[in-house]
Amino acid sequence: MNADEHTGPADHDLAAQEAVELTAVARQAGVRIVHVRRYLEFGLFEPHPAAAAETPRFDPRSAARVARAERLRRDLGLNYAGAVLVCELLDRISELEARRQ
Amino acid sequence: MPLSYTDYYEVLGVPRDADQDTIRRSYRKLARKYHPDLNDDSDAEERFKELGEAYEVLSDAEKRERYDRLGARWREAEREAPDENFEDFFAHQGFGDGTRVEFGEDLFEALFGPRAGRAGGPLRGRDREAVLELSLEDALAGGRRRLTLDGRDVNVNFPAGVRDGQLIRLAGQGGDGRDGGPSGDLFLRVALKPHPRFRRRGDHNLDVDLPITPSEAALGATVAVETPTGTARVRVPAGSSSGRRLRLRGRGLPQRGGGSGDLHAIVKIVVPKELSDRERELYGQLAEAGARDPREA
Repeated sequence: MNADEHTGPADHDLAAQEAVELTAVARQAGVRIVHVRRYLEFGLFEPHPAAAAETPRFDPRSAARVARAERLRRDLGLNYAGAVLVCELLDRISELEARRQ
Repeated sequence: MPLSYTDYYEVLGVPRDADQDTIRRSYRKLARKYHPDLNDDSDAEERFKELGEAYEVLSDAEKRERYDRLGARWREAEREAPDENFEDFFAHQGFGDGTRVEFGEDLFEALFGPRAGRAGGPLRGRDREAVLELSLEDALAGGRRRLTLDGRDVNVNFPAGVRDGQLIRLAGQGGDGRDGGPSGDLFLRVALKPHPRFRRRGDHNLDVDLPITPSEAALGATVAVETPTGTARVRVPAGSSSGRRLRLRGRGLPQRGGGSGDLHAIVKIVVPKELSDRERELYGQLAEAGARDPREA
């Protein structure tokens, strides 16, 4: 399952110049960069495909995903994998609800 | 926000005589149910906050007792109570590189700390403290450590000349802030590991043994001595007995406010276990020359 297809960065036609660096994601999310890197490792969000490989850039909306995952992780005592999974399931639910309407 | 009386048992849906397991189970279940990211209801956030507050009180034996006894007025009583002991929040956890650190924080303490009963709004994360064990050489040279604390990596640059007991502050590396509040700071307290050769004397001075030959002791010599920052040369005056202290000014440990303590090289006369024929002959002649008896004052 890849909920990112619907709500994540990869699905949108985002101009490469709109993409932001990882530090900006961390700042906007209010989450420390070490945590943000963990979410990146677990595939919560992905580098923008059009951005140069040596300095990966990301959809600015990644910050909201990171912030949500971090709240869930902290508040519910989840680990990173669990928080990412919950986010993906929530995306999936939103998607199914949108389809039903 | 006026403080209204909230029945925490009702909030958690547990009887008044519920044990800790029941309380924890109920809290976790309801936290999942009312977490604002999982529940779109408009009052979910308020319920979630209330849950955190209820759990904070009922999961803490002391607070629960006060709450049971004083009811609505329990929080006023809490304000008069002394702060909770900071040390209580630390457990033991290791560094990957074998360096020891004392660290740890309970998730729910981090979330719903002593001030959790406040009205909403940003809250700065808790400051944390850990121990950074360093060898003498590393402390003098400065350097870098990568620590794993509580599952996250922390890079520490420590300057040359850090002192035992010194605090190194890592801004923003402490507990997470709440509701958009800034993170707390991480304080690393430097602890110097005992050194196999350099012995600390006082805060800034070091002792090191200086092995010399009997002839160097008798005739005097300039010999190499190991210091924490490399080799130095020290003049051993003629007629030095074992135990004589030779001071190397400023070669000890850094002092607060600048300067360094001294290194004391302590003369230790080392006699060869086996003598060559020639040496034996010469020592024999020395003995005949009638050296004074050192046992007579």
